Amino acid sequence: MAAPGAGMEALVCARGRNRKAVLCQRCGSRVLQPGAATLARRQLFLPSMKKKTALAESGSPDGDVLQDHWLVDDMFSFENIGFTKDVGNIKFLICADCEIGPIGWHCLDDKKSFYVALDRVSHE
Amino acid sequence: MAKTYDYLFKLLLIGDSGVGKTCLLFRFSEDAFNTTFISTIGIDFKIRTIELDGKKIKLQIWDTAGQERFRTITTAYYRGAMGIMLVYDITNEKSFDNIKNWIRNIEEHASSDVERMILGNKCDMNEKRQVSKEKGEKLAIDYGIKFLETSAKSSINVEEAFFTLARDIMTKLNRKMNDNSSSGAGGPVKITENRSKKSSFFRCTLL
Repeated sequence: MAAPGAGMEALVCARGRNRKAVLCQRCGSRVLQPGAATLARRQLFLPSMKKKTALAESGSPDGDVLQDHWLVDDMFSFENIGFTKDVGNIKFLICADCEIGPIGWHCLDDKKSFYVALDRVSHE
Repeated sequence: MAKTYDYLFKLLLIGDSGVGKTCLLFRFSEDAFNTTFISTIGIDFKIRTIELDGKKIKLQIWDTAGQERFRTITTAYYRGAMGIMLVYDITNEKSFDNIKNWIRNIEEHASSDVERMILGNKCDMNEKRQVSKEKGEKLAIDYGIKFLETSAKSSINVEEAFFTLARDIMTKLNRKMNDNSSSGAGGPVKITENRSKKSSFFRCTLL
């Protein structure tokens, strides 16, 4: 596993857990308590959080491939979170309060993995 | 990791379409930010964490989200539900009249000891009101269910409604645990103290 990049140390403790609370970037709703999740590296595609997502010619939404995520193995580890309906075998995670998202990703084939992208949340 | 909560309750929102159930899904922020993408796929459920009497409670809240139009709400949806919010729109008499049908639907399909609560939503729209508060209260009394008027838009009583329902479920669970304290019950519920039994019907009807 690659060493955490610069700036990651402030967010990740020695045991790989989140030092800070994970909050919604937009409304501050609390998503995870400090220490509730572990850092996981995995390339996941999340559709854009912009209000008007331009659809590419293929009809698939704009988005980013994101690599750094907070991972929990139980959905009830979340303080507040919303789940979208299924898109294929994926459920996207959104802010429970202002409903911005997707901030995270869950695959129905793996009942014990819930990812929240570091780039899509704030930390406090 | 060890469980970081004391209780886990599955709650359902039930009522005619258009009464604002989706907004009641604990939307505290003024303006929801639905991206085209999110509103197209729709929201399945939310997890909210609240604290009651020092206990951490996880609420898993489900919205029928359109199924009600097809009257297809059946046993599968009700499975495991411990609390149900029956929602009508105070500016829509029909949605109020239908509460009785929804109660019948619950009696047919849900667990018999599910906690229920009636919510008259959109109480910020008083000028368009078709259902008086007294009428709502009367219906609730007839069924022995608690009642609140709410406004998801103005954040009136929304939090109170969920806290009240959660408290009632907790009280019922604790009573049940005390009644058969001999059985070593499993499940996610951990009881660490006895709680005095309060049956305070209609304590929370004030706006």
